[in-house]
Amino acid sequence: MSLLLLYLLLLKATLTSFTGLGSLPLIHNDFVVQRNLLTEQELNAAVAAGRTVPGPNGLYVVSVGYLVAGTPGAVCGWIASITPAFLIISWIAWLGRRMEHPAMRRAIDGVMVAAAGLIVAAAIPLARDAVTGPVPSVVAGISTVLVGFTRVNTLWLIVGGALAGLVAGFLH
Amino acid sequence: MAQVPLGPLTWVFLRTGNLTFGGGDPTTLALLQELVIARTWLSREQYALVFALARVTPGTNLLAFCAGAGWLLGRWWGTLAAILAVSAPGAVIVVLLTAAFESARQTPLAMAAIGGILASAVGMMLGGAINMLRPGWQTSRLRACLLPAAAFAAAWSLGLSPLVVIALGAAAGALWRGTADQ
Repeated sequence: MSLLLLYLLLLKATLTSFTGLGSLPLIHNDFVVQRNLLTEQELNAAVAAGRTVPGPNGLYVVSVGYLVAGTPGAVCGWIASITPAFLIISWIAWLGRRMEHPAMRRAIDGVMVAAAGLIVAAAIPLARDAVTGPVPSVVAGISTVLVGFTRVNTLWLIVGGALAGLVAGFLH
Repeated sequence: MAQVPLGPLTWVFLRTGNLTFGGGDPTTLALLQELVIARTWLSREQYALVFALARVTPGTNLLAFCAGAGWLLGRWWGTLAAILAVSAPGAVIVVLLTAAFESARQTPLAMAAIGGILASAVGMMLGGAINMLRPGWQTSRLRACLLPAAAFAAAWSLGLSPLVVIALGAAAGALWRGTADQ
């Protein structure tokens, strides 16, 4: 795959999402389902790597680029992550006053809730691959509750997941 | 508002963006403390404008927020400095972590640990979906239930492209007035 195509595919995903993980359904569709460039497990690992670091959650796109095309692919992923951010400059200049329009706000709300449904749809195949026994089920359940309803530092979830996996590995 | 020197601007975004865990919201709030309260580089109104516009800018909200704040503080150079400072170190760490995941695939115990991490990643995705629903829940609970359910069904059962589902979500959201709008 050419780096330009890789960049454009990742850019398509980042340009059509409004949160860091909002691009996940499109990336799953393009890279796992349509083109078989990544396995479910690799995409899952990319999400985990992206959530482990501080700062923006959307940096998992860098990991996706790296898994597809090595370091040049990671650079493509990074550029695809930051490219949409520059749009805010034109927003500041042109759209500042229109933000209060109710239809605009409702459309953004609609995108957000639709993206939530898409993320659940994208999580199911990943869960089939990763949640394969009682320990992973408990880890996934606790992570869902803690991320959804508390402000826990996600680094602890990564550490906790790794420790739970190690304990399960020893017991086997 | 006077332009802020590039060095201090870069340092604030570098430090805040790379030492705050938990994603965009905690980091944006940490930048409120740094940019508005501690240094008064931005007014509260400017912060609120950039915060709101970052929500409607495609991609990662935090990166859009940093781009907008950087633009107000130092125009193009400020924008570039803010985005690079917030994203570049994390991008390098992500690559190193991904490489570590890949090389650890040969070791059973490492694979067990990675299995636990991947299970927690699934939970993080589901928890992230809950967080995405929360603002819509305040406006219309029925919409916050039906639209994601319809989006899920459209993607999972009908196999529609996520791009189409997102477009349909925007159209449905624009046309469907919540109780707060009426």
